[in-house]
Amino acid sequence: MDKRYIMLADITRCINCKACVVACRAEWDTPLGHSRDWVREVESVSADGLPQLQLFPGRCQHCDDAPCVESCPSGAAWKRADGIVLVDDALCSGCELCVPACPYDARWLNPVTNTISKCTFCQPRVDQGLAPACVQTCVGGALQFGDANDPASKVSELLRSKEWVQLNTAEVPGATSHYYHTGGKPLPQAVLPHPVQQHLQGTLLAGVINPVAGIGIGGMVGAFIAAGVKKIIDRRAQRGSGKESHHE
Amino acid sequence: MSKQSRRIHVRDAGTIRLHWFNALCWGLLVASGLGILSGDFVRLAPAFWPELLQHLFGGNAALVLGHAMLGLVWMGGIMLFTLLRWRSTAAPFLREVLSLTPRVVLTDLRFMVVTLARLFGLMKHAALPPQGRYSGAQRLLGTLIVVCSVFIALSGLYLFFAPKLFSFAAAPLYGALFRWALLLHAAAVFLVLIGLVAHIYFAVVEERESLESMKSGYIDAEFVHHHSPLWYEQLKREGRV
Repeated sequence: MDKRYIMLADITRCINCKACVVACRAEWDTPLGHSRDWVREVESVSADGLPQLQLFPGRCQHCDDAPCVESCPSGAAWKRADGIVLVDDALCSGCELCVPACPYDARWLNPVTNTISKCTFCQPRVDQGLAPACVQTCVGGALQFGDANDPASKVSELLRSKEWVQLNTAEVPGATSHYYHTGGKPLPQAVLPHPVQQHLQGTLLAGVINPVAGIGIGGMVGAFIAAGVKKIIDRRAQRGSGKESHHE
Repeated sequence: MSKQSRRIHVRDAGTIRLHWFNALCWGLLVASGLGILSGDFVRLAPAFWPELLQHLFGGNAALVLGHAMLGLVWMGGIMLFTLLRWRSTAAPFLREVLSLTPRVVLTDLRFMVVTLARLFGLMKHAALPPQGRYSGAQRLLGTLIVVCSVFIALSGLYLFFAPKLFSFAAAPLYGALFRWALLLHAAAVFLVLIGLVAHIYFAVVEERESLESMKSGYIDAEFVHHHSPLWYEQLKREGRV
């Protein structure tokens, strides 16, 4: 059976030390001002009137049906069979058509490479049997990573033993490879995904150019096939009337 | 007069070779281009086509490179021909084939509509003015192909070279231009493809003599007299009939 890699974030264990962010930036040498992961702090007031702070370690959620993959014109954004969404730098032009498509704002144009960067679950490390850098360094053990298809894995065990939710909404309902344990508290609005968006050019290509081209080319082929058939029928009719007049 | 002597030489070997070179390049470039566009949201071809081509080429990077190289060969070939034979072939062709003023476009449009309607037995009695070497419909298609080809070439050059030459992160305008170039490239190609359906139908079914002239360079004088009376008169004046 194929592996199905997932990330678990138990926010009740997160202490906002941001060791995960530091480890990620060190691992990927990300430019100043950019990071592939983050910890979002959400302040609110509890039911009994006390202030509360929730901490959400975030990154690419590795969607099952990733809108970034669908928006990428060159196939640079792609998804492996094990669920990891990757970027092929050799193919990426940096056109950013995928950037607004990501409901989690997890993709950004890297000013050093001029290609799109995002969390890859540290795919090179994973392929060597190592945990992603953020998981390896997580002080509170909030982040866990592993193969959900292996019933003996730690993530499978945790999935069975705790209640987990995913960051999705009615507008972005798709399943992802990232789970959160909130200790039973509802997910705050601030961490929920925004609807999939597109650049104007992407919208025009998908909504106008491609449909018009499909109808136009298909319509022309259909019309000229019909014209050809009519020509054959007319010719046969002409031949038939010629034979009749010959007999007369 | 024998049948052989009624055939007029209207096209030289170089022009014929250019036409088929252009047709071959178009076939390969359209096939490969449709294979490059991958994402479900942006592609036009069915999903199997990019998958098949990218598999055959060992990945999309090789397919993109092949498409771009062939595109450069196409541009180079057409430009070289145009420059070397500007006076003898290219300029006269463009003069005859381009519909540029609104009045000419409207006249040509009317001719095209009537021609297409007649394929289906409609507008049989609509009066049509005598045509020159290129009919109204051919002029419109020719104009479309020439104009779109310029846009396709320019946008294609930008799509291939801009990510290598400019930093889209430093100047977002370059990235926006890339997305517009992608849109323009696709739109111009699709427009030409819509017109090419008619071009191929008329060459293969309705006016096979035209196809023959694009192979041998010779055309039947009666065909010219019937379809292009103004051109026939011109050929007569030049003593070629």
